[in-house]
Amino acid sequence: MNSQAVIHIEGLTKHYGDVKAVVDLNLDISAGEIFGFLGPNGAGKTTTIRALMDEIRPTAGKASILGLDTHEKSVEIRKFIGYLPGDLAMYPGLTGKDTLTFFANLRGGVDWAYINQLAERISADLSKKVGDLSSGNRQKIGLIQAFMNRPRVLIMDEPSSGLDPLIQREFQAMLREVAGQGCSVFLSSHTLSEVQRVADRVGIIRRGILAAVESVAGLRSKAIRRIELDFDTAVEASVLESIPGVRDVTVENHRAVISYDGKMEDMLKVVMERYELLDIRTQEADLEEIFLAYYREEGTGA
Amino acid sequence: MMLSSIFTKSVRDHWRGMAIAFVAMMAMLLFAMSIYRNLDVNIYQGMPEALKAIMGIPEGANAGSLAVSVFLSGAGAWVLAGLTVAWGSSSIASEESNGTIGLLLGNPRSRTNMLVSKAGSMTLLMLLMIAASWVTTYLIATMLGVSLDSLKVEALSLHLLAIALFHGFLALALSAWTGNRGTAAGITTGVMIVSIFAVGLLPLIEGWENMAKIFPWYYLNAGEPLFNGINWAHIAILAGGSLLSGALGVAGINRRDLKGQNVGVTLLDRMRTYPLTRKIISRLAGSGRVSGIWVKTFSEHQTLLTITGYVMVLTGILIGVIYEFMPIETMKQLLENFPEAEVIFAAIGGGDFSTPAGFFQLEVFGLMAPAALLVVGIAVGGRALSGEESRNTMGLLLANPVPRYRIIIEKSLAMLICTFVTGAATFAGVAAGNLLGGLDVSYANLAAVCLLVTLLGTVFGALALAIDSAIGNGRAAAFGAIGVALASYLASSFLPLSPNLAGLAKWTPYYYYLGSDPINTGLNWVHAAVLAGLALGLIMVSIALFQRRDLRHSG
Repeated sequence: MNSQAVIHIEGLTKHYGDVKAVVDLNLDISAGEIFGFLGPNGAGKTTTIRALMDEIRPTAGKASILGLDTHEKSVEIRKFIGYLPGDLAMYPGLTGKDTLTFFANLRGGVDWAYINQLAERISADLSKKVGDLSSGNRQKIGLIQAFMNRPRVLIMDEPSSGLDPLIQREFQAMLREVAGQGCSVFLSSHTLSEVQRVADRVGIIRRGILAAVESVAGLRSKAIRRIELDFDTAVEASVLESIPGVRDVTVENHRAVISYDGKMEDMLKVVMERYELLDIRTQEADLEEIFLAYYREEGTGA
Repeated sequence: MMLSSIFTKSVRDHWRGMAIAFVAMMAMLLFAMSIYRNLDVNIYQGMPEALKAIMGIPEGANAGSLAVSVFLSGAGAWVLAGLTVAWGSSSIASEESNGTIGLLLGNPRSRTNMLVSKAGSMTLLMLLMIAASWVTTYLIATMLGVSLDSLKVEALSLHLLAIALFHGFLALALSAWTGNRGTAAGITTGVMIVSIFAVGLLPLIEGWENMAKIFPWYYLNAGEPLFNGINWAHIAILAGGSLLSGALGVAGINRRDLKGQNVGVTLLDRMRTYPLTRKIISRLAGSGRVSGIWVKTFSEHQTLLTITGYVMVLTGILIGVIYEFMPIETMKQLLENFPEAEVIFAAIGGGDFSTPAGFFQLEVFGLMAPAALLVVGIAVGGRALSGEESRNTMGLLLANPVPRYRIIIEKSLAMLICTFVTGAATFAGVAAGNLLGGLDVSYANLAAVCLLVTLLGTVFGALALAIDSAIGNGRAAAFGAIGVALASYLASSFLPLSPNLAGLAKWTPYYYYLGSDPINTGLNWVHAAVLAGLALGLIMVSIALFQRRDLRHSG
């Protein structure tokens, strides 16, 4: 437990009849941290977010934001929150500007100079009716709406869906800027590359259970790498397999391909005692692979 | 086969509405037959022709024929035509507004093929529904021991099918032509209402009797199919009209661009871009309407309010002006000779036909005004929360520092304003009719009835809101409130006919609307307070219910 946590989730559980959408979820997110919430469709990401927003009430457990209970003090909390729901829907008959004015009025006013600046950064058109916009352009209105009150906590469900790569990059820059100013960001995604680029830590949720929480750097160092080795003579698979941390060895003549999880030096020492190494190629594993590995393991285990 | 897959989907989309309409119709019939069974219907036999014609009482009336003719060819026909209007107007336009038409036409099928399949499904569904009603009518009669021997229910059923399909095809053609569901349903409903009024009132005016023939509704009952059998000429006219609409629909859907999932351009939008009107219109349609939740909710119902307001003003004026042409002296004499007839009038909306006040009560306040107020109240109240929830905007709305009770209060305020605007339009109509027709009905009393009907609409709007607050399902909220309204209307109209049960009527909200005879005696403050208190109580219940539950989320 972290008393400094901006978002503190404790034993959060939500059942829909027999379906266990979220099971005993514990999580702390600190100030200025960007937390990426990863998981396949239907894993419980949106349920968690909706419970944080007091849209739904947990079956068990509780959560607090900025030290305030998410149910008891939900109105108070929402003064400090920027929220972007998944599957964003807005009032189709209102223009972007009308929409933002409506929400600004509910908040008792916001800084329009800031809104215009945001709109310019992500090239949002505020003059058209929301219903006439493409989903990406509609998403931009949603993003501005979430950022416009300079929130201390940003909660976003699949924020970059529909955005083109240039806008995604700008959005990620915006996230890093507000995080730099102390804003905590909780974002769900299955766009792993996005999380990899912006998040400090990631949580992986699967079938309602938080399977792992790791820093992005930590995950990467744990990563299993694929390594290709070229030798001047034919090699024996058994030699390579005997090295601790080496798996999935395939040998073809002078070339070997291995998966290795450990210090490069240890592996090379053993190999170079026996053979003359001509060339070595290594691929850095990205989160995508780690992520898939997690699911495969969990999947076979379940 | 496109027809079979579209038919299957239509059944899936519409079975609930069909089932509810069917149960409502058959319940009304059951109720009416059991009431009429206990009445002495012989009084009808002695009535002069003119009175029977005005009241729509057929020759040789007995309990069965009265119930069938009043409820099947009256309310039943409205329900059935209302259903086909809803199906017809949504068939093409809602595929467009849902954005599914591209998917549908992504299959190797032509637009004509799609439209014909939609029309075919509508015809089949209505045929099934009417066949079921026909069978059930006999079942009910047998159960109650009422004889239907001399009646040709199957002939009336065919006429019902023809009139329902006529309006359904008209709505379908308009929907195909404009791609706008509201326009299609609005125009068709307008045609239907004008037609029902014209066919009911024109024959009473000397020299204008034949004018009724230009209105489609005339061909439903003019030949009295229940007694005389099928009038093939009339069926042919209605079927011809349906085919013409169908052909126009095919032409319409093939000539225009299909609409995407957008919102269309309203007149206000056009005026907003035009330099001369821009300033004033942006005040109306622009930032003003997003200044808060209740203002925005109110502005979303502008179309509904404009249409109902317009209909109520016109109805009031029409009824006021037309009174002069009614055969009042004859009516008075008839009523003097047959005091029992008053009981029957009470059952069809109350009011003594022979005085201007009674005429207003019968034609405006009996059915039209409560229907308009209920539609407005329930439309606003029943969608207050589920409207936002089904569009997935509730999460966004509640991401702002706004407590849930404030949502209920602001939505209730919007509902209250909507019902009061409609009530004011009703008053404006009858007051203008009263003035133009030179009828000396007290304006204070007219205002009193309008206030009471407004409160009645608010009560049922608040009931819909309460159901919506409990479960977040707009359809269930609307049907629930309509069901209670219908039961309460029937109970308050028919229970007084039986001396033993008359006291029970006090338990229905309707009793507090017309029970004190406000058009003759003025406002009964206690009754007004009962209605206002009921509405307020339901709003408080809504707050408690909404506070407790999870928000719904679609998709």
